[in-house]
Amino acid sequence: MPPKSSSSKEKDLTDEDEVLQAVILADSFNKRFKPLTSGKPRCLLPVCNATLLDWTFESLALAGVQEIFVVCRSYPELVKAAIRDSKWSKPSLGLKIVSIITSKETFTPGDAMRDIYTRGIITSDFVLVMGDLVSNIRIDEVVRVHKERRRTNKDAIMTMVVKPSGVVHRTRSKGESAIFVLDAETSECLHYEHVTGYPPKKHAKIPREILAEHPEIEIRNDLIDCGIDVCSVEVPSLFQDNFDYGDIRRDFVHGVLTSDLLMKSIHCYVAREGYAARVADTRSYDSVSKDILARWTFPLVPDDNHPGGHSYEHIRGNKYLAKGNSVVLSRTCKVGSNCLIGAGTHIADNANIQASVIGQRCTIEANVTLRNVYVFDDAHIGAGSVIEYSIVGSNVKVGEGSTVARGCLIGDDVILGKNAKLGEFERVSRRRDEGEADESDKEDEDEQSEDSELEEAEARQDSESITAIIGEGSNAIVWPKGPRADEEDLDEVERYNNQRLMRIGDPASDLPLEYEGTESDSDASERESDESDLEMHALSRISSATSTSAISTSTPGLNIHTLHDAAAYSEFQAEVTQSLDRAFAEGHSVDNAAVELKTLRMASNVPLRKVREAVVASIVERIEVVEGDAAAQRREISKMVGRWGPLIDKIGGVDPVETIEVLQYHCAKSARLPLFGQILAALYQDDIVEEDDIRAWHARPEAKGEGLKDTSFAENVKRCWLVGTKMIEQFNEQESSEEESGEEDSDEEEQPSKKPAAATAQAAVGKKEESSEEESSSGDDESGEDDSQDSEDDAPATKAATAAPSQPSKPASTPASTKESEEEESEGSEEEESEDDALAPSQPAASKPSASSTTPAVSAAPSAPPPVPAAHAPALVSSTAAPAQPSTQDEESSEEESESEASDKEPAQTAQSQAPPAVASSKQPVTAPSKAESEESEGSEDSEEEEESEDDAASRATEPVPQAQVSTPKASTETARPPATITTQTESVATIPAAVPRPRPGPDVVGGQPLRPQQAAWRRHSIHFGDKVLKSGTTTGEKARRVVTTAGRQMKKGILTILRRNEREKQSTR
Amino acid sequence: MDFEETPSKITTKEFLAVVLAGFGNELAPLTSNNGDEPCPKALLPIVNKPMLDYPLAWLEASGIRDVLLICPAPHRASVLHYINSDSSASSFPSLRIDLQAFDESENLTVGTCQLLRHFAHRIDQDFIIVPCDFIPPPSLPLSRVLNKFRTEATYDGAIATTLFFEQPKPDKTSTPEEWRSGPASTSVVWDEKSGTLLHVDTPDEIDDDPEEMALNMSLLRRYPRSKLSANLQDAHVYVCRRTVLDVLKEKPRFDSIREEFIPWLCTPQYNSRKRSKYGHILNPLHNLPSQRLALEHCTLHTGLPSAYEPQSALSSPMDEVAPTETSSLRVGVVVHRASAGYTARANTLQTYLELNRHFLSQTTYALPIDSESRSLIDPKAQITSDSMVGHTTKVGERTNIKKSVIGKHCVIGKYVRIVGCVILDHCVISDGAKLDGCILGTNTTVGVKSELSKCITQAGYEVGDGENYKNERLDVSDWAAPQHDDDTSTEESDEE
Repeated sequence: MPPKSSSSKEKDLTDEDEVLQAVILADSFNKRFKPLTSGKPRCLLPVCNATLLDWTFESLALAGVQEIFVVCRSYPELVKAAIRDSKWSKPSLGLKIVSIITSKETFTPGDAMRDIYTRGIITSDFVLVMGDLVSNIRIDEVVRVHKERRRTNKDAIMTMVVKPSGVVHRTRSKGESAIFVLDAETSECLHYEHVTGYPPKKHAKIPREILAEHPEIEIRNDLIDCGIDVCSVEVPSLFQDNFDYGDIRRDFVHGVLTSDLLMKSIHCYVAREGYAARVADTRSYDSVSKDILARWTFPLVPDDNHPGGHSYEHIRGNKYLAKGNSVVLSRTCKVGSNCLIGAGTHIADNANIQASVIGQRCTIEANVTLRNVYVFDDAHIGAGSVIEYSIVGSNVKVGEGSTVARGCLIGDDVILGKNAKLGEFERVSRRRDEGEADESDKEDEDEQSEDSELEEAEARQDSESITAIIGEGSNAIVWPKGPRADEEDLDEVERYNNQRLMRIGDPASDLPLEYEGTESDSDASERESDESDLEMHALSRISSATSTSAISTSTPGLNIHTLHDAAAYSEFQAEVTQSLDRAFAEGHSVDNAAVELKTLRMASNVPLRKVREAVVASIVERIEVVEGDAAAQRREISKMVGRWGPLIDKIGGVDPVETIEVLQYHCAKSARLPLFGQILAALYQDDIVEEDDIRAWHARPEAKGEGLKDTSFAENVKRCWLVGTKMIEQFNEQESSEEESGEEDSDEEEQPSKKPAAATAQAAVGKKEESSEEESSSGDDESGEDDSQDSEDDAPATKAATAAPSQPSKPASTPASTKESEEEESEGSEEEESEDDALAPSQPAASKPSASSTTPAVSAAPSAPPPVPAAHAPALVSSTAAPAQPSTQDEESSEEESESEASDKEPAQTAQSQAPPAVASSKQPVTAPSKAESEESEGSEDSEEEEESEDDAASRATEPVPQAQVSTPKASTETARPPATITTQTESVATIPAAVPRPRPGPDVVGGQPLRPQQAAWRRHSIHFGDKVLKSGTTTGEKARRVVTTAGRQMKKGILTILRRNEREKQSTR
Repeated sequence: MDFEETPSKITTKEFLAVVLAGFGNELAPLTSNNGDEPCPKALLPIVNKPMLDYPLAWLEASGIRDVLLICPAPHRASVLHYINSDSSASSFPSLRIDLQAFDESENLTVGTCQLLRHFAHRIDQDFIIVPCDFIPPPSLPLSRVLNKFRTEATYDGAIATTLFFEQPKPDKTSTPEEWRSGPASTSVVWDEKSGTLLHVDTPDEIDDDPEEMALNMSLLRRYPRSKLSANLQDAHVYVCRRTVLDVLKEKPRFDSIREEFIPWLCTPQYNSRKRSKYGHILNPLHNLPSQRLALEHCTLHTGLPSAYEPQSALSSPMDEVAPTETSSLRVGVVVHRASAGYTARANTLQTYLELNRHFLSQTTYALPIDSESRSLIDPKAQITSDSMVGHTTKVGERTNIKKSVIGKHCVIGKYVRIVGCVILDHCVISDGAKLDGCILGTNTTVGVKSELSKCITQAGYEVGDGENYKNERLDVSDWAAPQHDDDTSTEESDEE
């Protein structure tokens, strides 16, 4: 019915020679009313016995709209028919209604707008509403304001109608609302922020830039979005231009407001008066119905202007009965207030109806109780049934004695048997016949997704439990409850928990809607604001220290990654594991495996680090754990690493530092934690990581487990770090001692080829070492020489455990010999390689002539003036490990800790005794770093000078270096020394690989008794280099300068020592 | 009957005013030392009255009696002298000023929170924090803020009341760009209806996210229609319950009251966790419900601010919102609009100058009444009515003074032209000098025929004869002399 008031407006409009057009988007593009909407579109659902479409037409007619386009997608024929049959298409009304059938590919309002644009039907400003609007707002007034604004400001393209309501209002959706930021004076919408009810939003973000032009703005969280927009003609074209605009609010409004290019503005019309609400979900269906019954929508009330054309009688207490005496009420039935009863309905004795709407031609039998129930036409409620807060579709038959709890939706034509018991929030629909199902499949492609859900529901119908729900003889199927399987794919708004906020009768009181209500968050925010300074620092340090920002995702304490990422990652990792399994089983080449991994990475779109983690994890987990046999274990490790280690660097990026860290974190989580040191050593052997990488890793805060909560994980991380500490310590010691003991070392190396003579010499070395160390210990009591003594073979076994943990239970007379052989075996493979290297040793040396000039130092005297201190050792240490230098102090001091931790048997006392030398030695590196770099870059001669200059630094240490002295003669006995090793001195990083293998051929070749003492000496001195550094420092005057030729070798030995130490630890714990 | 006793008894112990006087580094070089003498910011004159006069008078007018004045140790002597001097003692007879000094230097300033914590033992009742540089307009009595606090603290459990004022857009032409070093106005979110301060955009937050301001959703849920204003300035006037100090003690990390503590203080009113954590400390009152009920029935009191009522006539009923907790822990806000009178904090050179000009525009100059001062002003000098000349200042022949404040004991020569300047006490301006828009610190000497335009001089600065400066800050320093020559030459070349 056209409102009288619109006539004046019409005049205005005719003055402008424009017809006011309106577009109704009659499809909801969601499934909130399922199953009520399987079989008909939502806009044809009755609200107070008139279809939603009718209510929408009524609202528009009130505004004097003359031309209405109804865009329908689902069941267009039904919509068309409904329009054709309704009063609105009567020519006398002067309303032109055109239904537009849009394609099935229209999935969003945006698609519909693009469709409208392509049809070119819009000629001027138009009203855009959704097909579920109930409103008595004077839209014509909004149109007037909009047009007026457009006169001065062509860029004001849209006016949204909003209504102040307060935060909590029954027609304001809890699940889907918005914050409007408006200019207080002009009502220009400056910012639009969509708010989803669950998960609760924590912060609204307001762009600061809008403050520049609008110093006073209003932030409104109290507005109901009525879904009425007055748009100018540009709006459809904007949708056309931006093909990704889907939702009108979240995409279009947000997009326009945030666009720097469009320069368009959107305004709000804050409706002070009137009623407007959308029936967007079952909850609002309930509240809008109540509002209509309570006459808030006046003049649109059932007894006057009923959009369906029915006529009702309004009785006190907001009861509405269809006129014409067609309603049959039993004498004893009770109809409470706020009820509407359609024509032809029978209500039997003692039926109790409260706050409910009952359609036409329904039958309510005796003793039925209906509370807050919406019953569509032609329903039949059996005697004694009780229904609450539910919607009952048309032509539904509810058997006698049934109970329908709150929140149920019963689809059209459902028959419930006797004593059916629908639990809360059940949804039931009619089971389709076989043929019907096929047919519908054919004709309704658009309903496919729905069908799939329906079929799923059908498949689920195991008779027993279902029959209990729906009763005997029912034709119903029960829809699954709870979140759908494809929940993740859904839009945030449509997810289950959020939808719970939108369904009828669901208080959803168990869902935390206030963010602060949840413990975790408020804790976090509190901490954030109050105590998190430290954390923040840690964080920033991490981010600055890491090369990949993804680093944080791997540190669980920071908990940055979302669950979603975690899921994606675990999936990815599973795939990698499978892929590697295949590769391992079928013996793929590393390159092929790498290609496969790269493909996987592209497909899953995970950061490189994740790939690295996955690969490292797979390798580590594939290492067989050999209980009780350390050598075999080592073999296992080196086999695996040797075969697959190179893959780590072939996944698309080489970042050895990260590799170590990943390894560390993986080991910390894994049962293979004890293998960390050995694996790292194996990686080092295979040149997958270099010494510098280990140092760099070691210096990182992540490596120390900073920022991790104090859990066992963090402890494990820490433990790994300590292993690294030891390793680095070894590096330091070796390098520093190289000079003094260079000859000795070379002795050892050469031994294999030199055979027994050398071996005996070596034995002599061993002795002399002993003696020298004893000397030194005597001179260096205060610095805790105990351990160096311990390391001597003849030291008591208990003591030996502390200093040289590799020889814990050995008799003094046969020092570590058994161990040694084990070691040799286990390293067999490596050593073979190293042999090969040894055969072709001279390349690096040739490339480094400058280094070779210093080589003669083998015999000590010629290259360097005799009094040159051995003190350049520290300088060298720093030159090779400049980046790690600053942390050496910590490392060394923490060594003590680690050792005591490592072997439980170790007396605390000895642990302490180790500490002093560590501290003392740390002094030297500290002085060195500044020079270190220059040394590196300059030639070896330069470095010599530098070394000299370091003398004083070294001389701070209090002990002479007896060892170096001792070894000198032996060195001179050597005939040929592989020149390749020389280079390591100056280019430690680059040449380590070349130098590495050389020392080891000996054991392999000979493998017999004679070598053992020598190796024992090796080990010993590699363990005790730290002390020797000290000693060497003081010997300055006496020692001839030595050239460091064996840095790489020494480092290798260091690692071996660590390996051995680990084994021993294991054994000792066992 | 003794009428005099009663009113003072009512107001005695209610509030303690804490007046904070700092170094005023933003006002350098005016606040830089004059030789060894400090120039306390609090005593910088605005239209020839020390700026401390204004807040003190404001306090006294509202019936406050106890004042805790905190100033840096080096300023103690001069401030003490001021307090005990005739002028202030006679103008604030009812104030009991407790002067406390704190150790700090210009380079190492102590945070205001720290000051407050340090002197907390001297504060045993509700208190008002007032800065020494807030110059309130007559249209804004302190009692307006106090009354709001009194009502809300009683019936609503408010914990503090703040004062913000609208800063009119500065006149771009009047001052050079470099003077505008002062803090830009902060963005605040507040509820207009109930006068509640909800959120203050702190510099930290801006650093964290320069693009967007994050507002807690629980804030927007509780105050769904709040205002976000970017044109308000914090007057640094806070009326607080004593309990606020207890909370401040638990937050040792806070440094600035304005930038950290007050923003934080806004959060317990909507953050339930903080409420539960600090609520009992902040507000141990128990009689709120009854007070509230009483107020609801009071005919004079209109509307409780916390309940939100849409005004529209036709609106379906709102859902019942359960009455929440009894004490709101609200932070009230009084907003003073620019239209209601000019207000500013004299904490930047620009506002300092503008305040002087503002007061000048309200006064009319008349020749001094006492014959001694009058005799010093040459009859041929021209002084416009929108100027002010301190007593015993000598003004020479044919000197022209427009829109300017001249301090006391100045000597102004002949043919001097002074427009839009603020000249502090004891300045000597030689013949033929031209000053335009300048601020001269105490004891500044301006040479013959020098020209200064929009310059500021440190106390004791000497401008040589014929020197010419534009848009300069002139500091006294040892190395300054040669520097000046360079500057002048470049200046001149620029001008050429």
